[in-house]
Amino acid sequence: MTTVLIAEDEPLMRERLVAMLAVAWPEAQVVLVAENGNDAWDGFLEHEPQVVFLDIRMPGLSGLEVAERIGKQAHVVFVTAYDQYAVDAFDAGAVDYILKPVQADRLDKAVARLRDKVQVKPADLGDILHHLKAALPDPPRDKMKWIRASVGRQIRLIDVADVLFFQSDAKYTRVVTTGFEALVRIPLKDLLSGLDPEVFWQIHRGTMVNVNAIAAAERVDAERLQVLLRGHAEKLPVSRSFAHLFRD
Amino acid sequence: MWQRFTLWYRAWDQEQLAVLACPALAEAMPAGYRRVFAIKLAQLSDVERQQLAHFSQHYTGRKALLPMAWMALAFSVAGLLLQLALAPDFPIGKALFGANAVGFTCVAIYVGAWFNYRQLDQRLLRVVVLTTLLTILGALLGVGISVLVSDHGLEAELQKIPRTIAIAGLGAITLLAAPMMLITAFRNRQFASLTATLQRDAEQDRLARALSETQLRLLRAQIEPHFLFNTLGAVQQLAEDGAPRAAGLTANLIAFLRASLDEMRSETVALADEFGLIDAYLRVMQVRLGARLRFTLVLPLALEHVRLPSMLLLTLVENAIKHGIEPALRGGEVTVCATQNGAMLSLQVVDTGIGLVDEVVEGTGLANARQRLALAHHGAARLVLAPREDGGTVAEITLPVGA
Repeated sequence: MTTVLIAEDEPLMRERLVAMLAVAWPEAQVVLVAENGNDAWDGFLEHEPQVVFLDIRMPGLSGLEVAERIGKQAHVVFVTAYDQYAVDAFDAGAVDYILKPVQADRLDKAVARLRDKVQVKPADLGDILHHLKAALPDPPRDKMKWIRASVGRQIRLIDVADVLFFQSDAKYTRVVTTGFEALVRIPLKDLLSGLDPEVFWQIHRGTMVNVNAIAAAERVDAERLQVLLRGHAEKLPVSRSFAHLFRD
Repeated sequence: MWQRFTLWYRAWDQEQLAVLACPALAEAMPAGYRRVFAIKLAQLSDVERQQLAHFSQHYTGRKALLPMAWMALAFSVAGLLLQLALAPDFPIGKALFGANAVGFTCVAIYVGAWFNYRQLDQRLLRVVVLTTLLTILGALLGVGISVLVSDHGLEAELQKIPRTIAIAGLGAITLLAAPMMLITAFRNRQFASLTATLQRDAEQDRLARALSETQLRLLRAQIEPHFLFNTLGAVQQLAEDGAPRAAGLTANLIAFLRASLDEMRSETVALADEFGLIDAYLRVMQVRLGARLRFTLVLPLALEHVRLPSMLLLTLVENAIKHGIEPALRGGEVTVCATQNGAMLSLQVVDTGIGLVDEVVEGTGLANARQRLALAHHGAARLVLAPREDGGTVAEITLPVGA
């Protein structure tokens, strides 16, 4: 059984893709249908599907950004209404894509290819994604500058640059700085796209750490790594998907 | 000798035409009298240069000779008649020469004034006084020479001086100064009206261009693949499910396309129609975005007939969706409302989306909207974009009612 994740922001398009995929590929198991890029990435980490259908334009992380993070961990098929640049690049780079509105014959072809592909390792799309991101206009995005959090009876404004790390805590997120920590009522995955990926590295599905606060990474055993911080005693585990960040 | 003269003349003539066509050439010319003249030409205004170039090209070579021959004939006849009528014992040869000399001098000065009216206007008094004084000086010089060569007594010649001054002064004023002033005034008035016409034309051109740019942009927006394909995909999905909503979505898409085609053809539109267009657009987007989009439209009855440039408000709503709601994880709400404060109408598009990004690069849609507002309301209208207090964006147009 092949596991599939679908990410598409418009509800009817989502329904359509799910319904059509059920016909075209009955033995595929859809593990998650995501409404935006952040949910898609978080859902990918949770379910580790083999195949991912990604809309290119989505709120939060764009389809291209999610694909970049997924890297070689899954087979990616892009779904796009029509971006001439993208379509050209897809054709040149032999990347799978489906045009919206999805038509049955096109989906059948993509599924036929995927059936073969899931037998082998996913290709590295790095170069093509880089090229595509340069060609497509940057999606509008609100880069977070500060966070409003309640600490005791106060409401504090925390400068994002002062945050050592964010850690997921059920529906809340722990925001930890050198001096204090706070809980905010926003799930970590919603903060993902507002943080600069150059500054905040995700080291675990539930942890985003400020690169400037990392003192070292150490081995726990043959498999596992953990991060040590400057000015904070807590040690943060690095999950397998992110171990590559600390390899030479 | 003659050939060298014509060659020299032709070369200079060509050079001056070239300078008239491209004044920058004057700076590049080697020093000398030609450069002095070229720089004078280059200093003329664009309109003057064009007029002069046109004249020079027309009256060149043989074409210039014919009118000059006619003028010579006319001056000769006038000189002859004056001689017969006023001083029958004055030598005919001198009368002919004098008449032609005065005539051609006047023509040269009139032509000069005709083509140099802009600069003449600024120092008209100086030129008039100078011309008169020079004429008188010339006359006195003539008297001086005649004293030397004449066999009349010195006393007799000296007695002529007041009369000579009077004749030369009057002649200069009537034949040179007055016509020069008239020509300058006439030509400058012509210039002013020409400039005004040109400005009006340019303004209308700009307005027409801004309008057609809006039309093109809107046309592109509607056939923009993301809008059209995603909407059609939504229709298809609803239709396949047999959902009654398919008919509603199609109806709104049709209403939107039809209304925007209608609006595209007119420069202004009643607020009621613009709100109808926006309503159809937002309904289409709401079916597509589902719970992520909520919207409210508020248009008081009294303002339904107020007119404003077409599709302006729609542009702001499209921007609110595209840059505010669509990129927001949880979507948001769009509120469009019209209110009147005294003589001003305020149109607000408020969204609770992701808000203004740091470096706001205003797209062609907004730039175009500003330009059309400025042209339609002569600077009395404003378009302001500001961040909303709790996140999101407020876009507001204020314009005078009834303008």
